[in-house]
Amino acid sequence: MTSPPDPPAASRAPSLDTLAVLLAFLLAALVRLGLLKSIPW
Amino acid sequence: MSEAILQTETQAPPLLAKLAGLIPGIALLAAVGLLGKITEQTINGYCKAHQIIFPNIEYVLWSILIGMVIANVTRIPALFQAGIATYEFWLKVGIVLLGSRFVLGDVLKLGGISLILVVVEIAGSLVLMLWLGRLFGLKPKLTSLLAVGTSVCGVSAIIAAQAAIDADDEDSALAISAILALGAFALFAFPVIGHFLHMSDHSFGVWTGLAVDNTAETIAAGAIYSDTAGKIAILVKTARNAMIGFVVLGFAIQGARHGLTGEVKNRTAFLVAKFPRFVLGFLAISLLLSIHAFSKGQVAVLANLSRWAFLLTFAGIGLRMNFRQLFRQGLRPFAVGALGEVLIAFLTLGLVIGANAIWKI
Repeated sequence: MTSPPDPPAASRAPSLDTLAVLLAFLLAALVRLGLLKSIPW
Repeated sequence: MSEAILQTETQAPPLLAKLAGLIPGIALLAAVGLLGKITEQTINGYCKAHQIIFPNIEYVLWSILIGMVIANVTRIPALFQAGIATYEFWLKVGIVLLGSRFVLGDVLKLGGISLILVVVEIAGSLVLMLWLGRLFGLKPKLTSLLAVGTSVCGVSAIIAAQAAIDADDEDSALAISAILALGAFALFAFPVIGHFLHMSDHSFGVWTGLAVDNTAETIAAGAIYSDTAGKIAILVKTARNAMIGFVVLGFAIQGARHGLTGEVKNRTAFLVAKFPRFVLGFLAISLLLSIHAFSKGQVAVLANLSRWAFLLTFAGIGLRMNFRQLFRQGLRPFAVGALGEVLIAFLTLGLVIGANAIWKI
């Protein structure tokens, strides 16, 4: 008897949505900690 | 163990190579977006200095137009394609960060009203598109995909529904092309109609959020009108995006009843899996703002980060708008989509006017 195969890498990888949320929260944390003090527009 | 090391070594480069492969396209997004911004500033500065009366055309429109010209006049090398495709990623980053410009109370108030309008819009659009699809003799699965795309949120909804109803890749590509082409048209048509009808920023934002299908085009159409309209459009569209799981679940259950797909075993798990994470991220940042987690200066920094993310998005909308590719798929789905979109635009305009009369939105 063989064990079931691992799910494909794509299904284990975090979704685009999740990555976007993580990056946004990382940026928000950097701003909150005062590491990103000014972003010109 | 040596096998494990070998496996890690052989697996690591593709991720790095993948990330490196994104750089040229992201650089192109930034270049086009910046060029749009510089064009706006240069034209405005010139007109002011020479006292020329010229309408203020936002960088949003310039970035899209410059991207469109590049996409349709030249053949963008394959090297740039992966990076250009990240525009949807930047869109979501921008939306989450935009939560810093809404206190949770406002989100719940306008989001609540929007949800009522969204439910009516979704129900009306679904009935209309299913009827039009039958009338024009489209395949049932293609009709379902078009209905999901026009009622909820464009491309993401079509992709989610494709898996749920087990539709062909070809049907999915057709529906996505139709939604993108119609979104491109709406992007330019809606602001013109809004100005013609003298719509307020709030009303226009709500209308755009309800009627324009793909999130990127919704935000761009709102931002072309005004900054406030853009913000409201995002809020309404986010409420619409939040409904994606329910609509796709409905189609999956219907498909199973007709023997077209398998049973949905756990409906709650299905809904959780399909719920857009960026909507939760947006609400979480808005909650942090509401409990004063950020100072005024920090909110301004977050708002600017959100603007830069949207700048990349708008450049991507233009660069991806290759009309030859969009219309290559056949005319009938476009005809059904276009007819449906026009009717939905009227339906949602009526909803906005009605909501204005009741809630003074």
